[in-house]
Amino acid sequence: MAKVELVNVSKRYGEVEVVRNIDLEIEDNEFIVLVGPSGCGKSTVLRMIAGLEPISGGDIRIGERVVNNVSPKSRNVAMVFQNYALYPHMTVRENMGFSLKMSKKSKSEIDERVTAAAEVLELDTLLERKPSELSGGQRQRVAMGRAIVRKPDVFLFDEPLSNLDAQLRTQMRMELKKLHMKLATTTIYVTHDQIEAMTLANRIVILKDGFIQQVGTPVEVFEKPANVFVAQFIGNPPMNILKGIFKTEEGRPVVQVGSSVFPLPNGQGSSLQSGAQVLVGIRPDAIKMGRSTERLPKEWLCQGEVIVSEILGGQSLLEIVIDGENKLIAEVEGRVIAQPGETVPIGFEFDRMVLFDPETTNALS
Amino acid sequence: MREVSRDRIKAFLTLLPSIILIAVFVYGFIGNTVWISMTDWGGVASLAENPQKNFVGLQNYVELFTGFLDARFRQDLVNAVYYSVLLLAGAVGLGMFIAILLDRKPRGEDFLRTVFLYPMSLSFIVTGTIWRWLLAPQGGVNIVPTFFGGEKLTFQWLSSKQALLLFNWQHLLPVLLYVVAFVLIIIGLFTLKGDTPKALKRYLLPGLGLGACVWLFGDLLPQIYFMEEMHGFNLATLGIILATIWQYSGYTMALYLAGFNGISQDLMDAARLDGASDWGYYRHVAIPMLKPITISAVIILSHISLKMFDLIFAMTGPDNAETGHPALNMYLTTFRANEFSKGAAIAIVLFLLAAMFIVPYLVSSYRQRRARS
Ligand SMILES: Nc1ncnc2c1ncn2[C@@H]1O[C@H](COP(=O)(O)OP(=O)(O)OP(=O)(O)O)[C@@H](O)[C@H]1O
Ligand SMILES: [Mg+2]
Repeated sequence: MAKVELVNVSKRYGEVEVVRNIDLEIEDNEFIVLVGPSGCGKSTVLRMIAGLEPISGGDIRIGERVVNNVSPKSRNVAMVFQNYALYPHMTVRENMGFSLKMSKKSKSEIDERVTAAAEVLELDTLLERKPSELSGGQRQRVAMGRAIVRKPDVFLFDEPLSNLDAQLRTQMRMELKKLHMKLATTTIYVTHDQIEAMTLANRIVILKDGFIQQVGTPVEVFEKPANVFVAQFIGNPPMNILKGIFKTEEGRPVVQVGSSVFPLPNGQGSSLQSGAQVLVGIRPDAIKMGRSTERLPKEWLCQGEVIVSEILGGQSLLEIVIDGENKLIAEVEGRVIAQPGETVPIGFEFDRMVLFDPETTNALS
Repeated sequence: MREVSRDRIKAFLTLLPSIILIAVFVYGFIGNTVWISMTDWGGVASLAENPQKNFVGLQNYVELFTGFLDARFRQDLVNAVYYSVLLLAGAVGLGMFIAILLDRKPRGEDFLRTVFLYPMSLSFIVTGTIWRWLLAPQGGVNIVPTFFGGEKLTFQWLSSKQALLLFNWQHLLPVLLYVVAFVLIIIGLFTLKGDTPKALKRYLLPGLGLGACVWLFGDLLPQIYFMEEMHGFNLATLGIILATIWQYSGYTMALYLAGFNGISQDLMDAARLDGASDWGYYRHVAIPMLKPITISAVIILSHISLKMFDLIFAMTGPDNAETGHPALNMYLTTFRANEFSKGAAIAIVLFLLAAMFIVPYLVSSYRQRRARS
């Protein structure tokens, strides 16, 4: 159990800088999820923390110790790889006990700890098998078992569930969460999967091109994205972004979008001049239709023309055009069956609306 | 169903020509050689138009192993055993060692790889000639120390008459049993750490028991020969072994290097995180993972060493008794002495020796395949 601290860490391969001046403080027992598009440097950050990749600048601290020049085996971190990286010639038992054997633990202690870990992961009956005789989910468990027998200070996961089918992934995700609660160990977890990020993380770190875009709790990054990239990267479907002009109307701040006027009930954009260009972000689930519009104030309602509607079980996805020009994706409760071309009343939760600067694409307070 | 059987017929017809050819020219001729080895074809009239061939059973084999005139064959056989064992140990060990060094990605790895692989492409005659010069008593390797101000070596690489580990052929049976006991004990010691009860029960205790029995009661075993006849490891074969190792370690290096390169980065990283040192990674992960490669190398090298002919011919000629080899002996017996039946018997002995290496491998891989399906 330990804090992990990255101070101004960077990584260059020759001329190419793939991780740029990252500052990140990870609390003891925290579950941190790194997300970002492919090639943004997530695995590189993880490998630098593990010591598998030397860092080009800055400091990495695990616990109180600067580990820049500490070898991987002395950092006491354990890593779970996407393709599991099990030793194919060893049995499950030997795979899980390998690190203990390398650290010259006694045979009885290895046995005891492997058995205990196998019980936690329900691998007891598979201990004498080789990895080639296991299913994907079981291999995944063995990889986790190999990590937990060591009682490391930090767990590192690099897309551990992405080789599993959807159902198994959901199940393993829950088990991971339980495991983290039981073991209470600092965890850094890389994933492509939004849901994994939202459900597992204490805090999410969004990376792009080697830069940190935002660090925050799942709700924070969802509701208060730091910039347009985060707004569109987090959430599925992504946040709607419309062009608008900031104004003050009858003493109250509003945004003119097309011919509609959106109120700003939370005082968003208070720092802006009247007439300033802004980008308006609205989450698809902040758009309401049908009965759930009744709870909204009158001035938060308007009319929209339905282009397409899709029913996803309990919810529906609709593509809507307002004012004949601005296209929006809405994710609404219930099964809304609307004919294309039909015009229906819709409502906005304007208090959840976010404004961005069109130049820098950063969020405006 | 009909489709399947038609497919099968097609497959069978396609394979038929090669099945027939192999049946005749490989297995048929092996059978013919076995038959000839059990006749008395040879001697004065052996080249007559219709030579006499009378069935004599195993007499040729009995003569080879216990006949007064065939002492040279017995030394050749002992040579072949040492030759195979040392070649295997040398070429596999050295090849693995170079592969590990190159796997550390030193500068110029590509170039070095080619350099080490290059001897493979030479013919044995060329290798033999080069090494004959290098190992000449008055030059080559022997004068290397003089470059550093040392004394000239005087070792007779190819014609030394010294021999180590001499044993009396009369006592072949107890010696073989000692070897078996020794191997069992070694295996037992190696597995002792991993699986103690099994190591004790399967290897260590039987090995010790067998050794003790032979020691106590070995005198009761029959002597297979009527007089004392000493055989051992002829030091003159060292030069030939060196040359063969030189030629083949590049090949085993290439096999291992390809294997090492095929191990994923993640697996290496996992081993490093698990606390394996560089050496630990090779010792516990990489080399055990490449067991199939080791097995293929052993099989290929062992049958090459049992068939070795041209290299020895080029290095010491066919008549140097110290460096003889059963394959050379077979050639001399068959085509110079015209003892066709005895030559065939030598061929069959070599064939059986090679089978000793290959059959266990085939059986185990067949079993594995069955277990998997
Ligand atoms: N050894 C290397 N030499 C040069 N560039 C590298 C090397 N390893 C990684 N990179 C580059 O570093 C960048 C970050 O790679 P990284 O593997 O960290 O991405 P990632 O975020 O994990 O992507 P993914 O989601 O696809 O796994 C990539 O642009 C990649 O091309
Ligand atoms: Mg990656």
